[in-house]
Amino acid sequence: MPALNPFAWIRQRFRQWWQSKLPLTDTMTLTQRNVYILPTRAGLMLGITLMVLLVASINYQLNLGYLLTFMLAGAAVVGMHVCHGNLRGLTMHLIAPQAQYAGTIGQFDVKLSHTKRSARPSIGISLLDAAHWAWTDVEPQGSAVVQVGFKPPQRGLHRLPDLTAETRFPLGTFRVWTVWRPKAQVLVYPAPEPHAPPLPPGEPRSGGGAVAHVQNTGEFDGVRGYRRGDPMKLVVWKQVAKAIARGSDELVSRDTQQAQRYELWLDFASCGVHDTEAKLSRLTAWVLTADDLGSSYGLRLPGREIKPSTGEGHKQQCLEALALC
Amino acid sequence: MRHPHGTGMLDKLRHLPRDARDTLFLLCVIAWVVMPQVNHLPLWCSALAAGVLLWRGKLAWHSQPLPGKWWLIALLAAAVGLTLYTHKTLLGRDAGVSLTVVLLSLKTLELRARRDAFVVFFLGFFSMLTNFFFSQSLLTAAAMLVALMGLLTALVNAHRQVGKPPLADSAKVAGKLVLLGAPIMAVLFIFFPRLAPLWGIPSDGLSGRSGLSSTMKVGTIASLALDDSIAMRIKFAGKPPEQTDMYFRGPVLASFDGKEWVTAFASQTGRYTLPASLQTRGSSVSYQITLEQSNKPWIFTLDAASTKPQIAEHELTQTDELLWISSKPVTDIVRYTAQSYTEFRHGPLQRVTGLEDFVRMPAGLNPRTVALAQQIRSDPRFTKAAASVLVPEVMNRLRTGGYAYTLEPGLYGANTADEFWFDKKEGFCEHIASSFVILMRALDVPARIVIGYQGGQLNPVDGYWTVRQSDAHAWAEVWQEGRGWVRVDPTSAVSPGRIGEFQRLTAPRGAVASAFNTVISPSLAASLRAGWEALNNAWNQRILNYSQSKQLDLLKNMGFNSPSWADLSYVLIGIIVTVSLIGAAWTLYARSQHDPWLRLLYSARKRLAAAGMASTDATPPRELARRVQQHWGAAAQALHDWLLQLETIRYAPPAAQAQSLATLRAQFVQLPKLQALAAATATPSK
Repeated sequence: MPALNPFAWIRQRFRQWWQSKLPLTDTMTLTQRNVYILPTRAGLMLGITLMVLLVASINYQLNLGYLLTFMLAGAAVVGMHVCHGNLRGLTMHLIAPQAQYAGTIGQFDVKLSHTKRSARPSIGISLLDAAHWAWTDVEPQGSAVVQVGFKPPQRGLHRLPDLTAETRFPLGTFRVWTVWRPKAQVLVYPAPEPHAPPLPPGEPRSGGGAVAHVQNTGEFDGVRGYRRGDPMKLVVWKQVAKAIARGSDELVSRDTQQAQRYELWLDFASCGVHDTEAKLSRLTAWVLTADDLGSSYGLRLPGREIKPSTGEGHKQQCLEALALC
Repeated sequence: MRHPHGTGMLDKLRHLPRDARDTLFLLCVIAWVVMPQVNHLPLWCSALAAGVLLWRGKLAWHSQPLPGKWWLIALLAAAVGLTLYTHKTLLGRDAGVSLTVVLLSLKTLELRARRDAFVVFFLGFFSMLTNFFFSQSLLTAAAMLVALMGLLTALVNAHRQVGKPPLADSAKVAGKLVLLGAPIMAVLFIFFPRLAPLWGIPSDGLSGRSGLSSTMKVGTIASLALDDSIAMRIKFAGKPPEQTDMYFRGPVLASFDGKEWVTAFASQTGRYTLPASLQTRGSSVSYQITLEQSNKPWIFTLDAASTKPQIAEHELTQTDELLWISSKPVTDIVRYTAQSYTEFRHGPLQRVTGLEDFVRMPAGLNPRTVALAQQIRSDPRFTKAAASVLVPEVMNRLRTGGYAYTLEPGLYGANTADEFWFDKKEGFCEHIASSFVILMRALDVPARIVIGYQGGQLNPVDGYWTVRQSDAHAWAEVWQEGRGWVRVDPTSAVSPGRIGEFQRLTAPRGAVASAFNTVISPSLAASLRAGWEALNNAWNQRILNYSQSKQLDLLKNMGFNSPSWADLSYVLIGIIVTVSLIGAAWTLYARSQHDPWLRLLYSARKRLAAAGMASTDATPPRELARRVQQHWGAAAQALHDWLLQLETIRYAPPAAQAQSLATLRAQFVQLPKLQALAAATATPSK
């Protein structure tokens, strides 16, 4: 509740302002300028410990106590530099992610590499503010790939979320981190409706007069049961595989006659729901079903029409249109 | 059985899950930290710590769950209760040490979150410091360096997030931290201002040290004879005095109650004071003394020092018995220079009021000694004899009467002097001195006992004379008319070897020590010991005795006229600022240190940009070459070729790359200027 806490609100605004200044890039080399460092709570505890040790050394006039205190302080100072150096000099490269459906958890890869002769242990990558760390060690002059998961909020073309890389190695007394705003974008398709109604009936080809004919099964799917003599290329193998998985050995063939007479149009304007997102969700589910069946389908969206076709490329085109609609 | 039990354990150790392995390692380090102080802890504390650590180790070994919090609360309550019972308080040094050790071991039972681990580490660091309450020796320092490495290794290891990295890796990182941290430690150690204690040191901070005490019960010095620890070290500026003159004066014991000699005439008020009236003769001896911590205010000097030794933070006064006394106890090693005259005279020259205190004795004790005195006095030669005649007589009796010097004189009863003179006829220096003084007093000669140290041993390695607790000695002073107090050492009559030479009675050695002596030749053992002690001395002089006065001396050498601790802070801040500036400069330099190839390409791109051909970081030289040719044509052939060559050598082996880069750099300077090219191309097109 930012309104209740003005400091939190100011902090939030400052962070937004600060992050908006960061450049968008897919390859980020960490330098003195973009690596930040602050002591951790443990670091403050170490500071208090050092003070207690110092006071004990003074009060009991223990020269060896002074040595211990200063040795520890020296190690902590060196540890601070080692910690900063652990992140500095790394190059982070974002490997462009695949498109995905809204509501699912996707993953993308970040490649960490460097050319220095020191090992870079215990580097964590996470979405900014998520604190689900993926840890890795980077070998001297080597590279490592880290997988980061994220859940896109809604469909569309999104910039990847802001990332942060962090290390506390070696003593955990300092937190060294960087904030990275990747430039890459990820295409997010609408989430397919979970239990979508059957595909809409086909429309007669232009010129034909017949009305869409609803079969006994109540769905237009351009298929029928296998009949003895059907050529192998008419068998819908995807469906067969599903059927076998269900435990039946029923073969399904493409109903070429019907496919010739009707074409399947998935229409934004007539898909049974009113809400735009719900419509897109249903259309997405239909596109996937139709593609599964291997039937030819077209897509009508406001201001855009994709001619009926089949295949992976066509599916991608349709999903992309749905994502960006 | 094909696999003996031992191999099975080792195998299991190697394949322990990371968690268990890390825990076991940390437990070992904690045990190492606690071990050296076990002697100084209450028994229950050591036992509890050992029990908890072993229990925790067993849980880790078998991957069993940690005990519930009620266990912890019960153990903690028991520990607090026992601390209260043992120390009567929860504050103060000893109670604090016990509690720290208990908390450290109990916390290992609660290693759940990362924060718990940090608590263990920090308690561990504190526990390391508590070791120094009891010993600051070189060995302790070495043990604690190992402990520090262990704790840092565990700490580094805890921050390795991935897999099961070998502990040796973490140890390497910890070693790096310690090595690189050492200069920081050295600078802070040298320049951090040494402050006086911020508040009063609890009295128990000073307990547990041995040394001379301010009273002498027969038998107390004999117990010191077994103590080989060092009382002080002396470095003589010139020729050292004779060993027979090396008497380091401590307190004078004048009052005897039959059992114990004490300094002050506690029972008598209104005592007359006898001024010291020290007169010195001959040449002086200059020397520097490093006095170990004694918790007594006595500043030992060679008999007799007429000028005041200077010690920082100690205000010295000289007693009428020639002892230099500090305003506060020597709670740390102190070092001072002094001048002494081995020929001197002190005390009243005439028989004055006050001297009769020194013939007083408890009535009824040592009847046979009193009878002996009367017998001597009845001899016509001695009826009216002065001390100068009586002393040789008594010394002669000691020499010829079959008296012996021994470390094990057995138990003395109530009449110690009687037993010495007539029954046992053997004793340690304190018996001899005590009996001598009692006899002298019975003869009505004022006499008193002085305790201190006599003799010393030259360490040939560093030229320091070492005076040990076993050199503690008791001798007598007898008042003579016209000469004042005269030193008489009755022990020298019994055992001439005790005074002056290197002979000391050696206490019977343990089995290990005697085995050691049979394996290693005594001379080698002696030189090993001398080397070890020189090392120890250097440690004491350089590290443990590094005080504010030494810091200020250092500043003086650096050119400060009248250094103060504020100057120390300035020096410290100055060093920090300088190092930071150097660090910043290095960072700037390192940032500019790009790949030399990229730098050359960058210069080329800059030159092209100046001539109107912009390019980006990502444009390869081949593309640049193509554009150059397209833009300026054949006139820029040299530049075109140069760029192609630049691209070729990017893929050459590193050695060849360095060489041809140098050539290319030289060529780049000589390439025709692009402005000239622009003019040349512009002209034909018109």
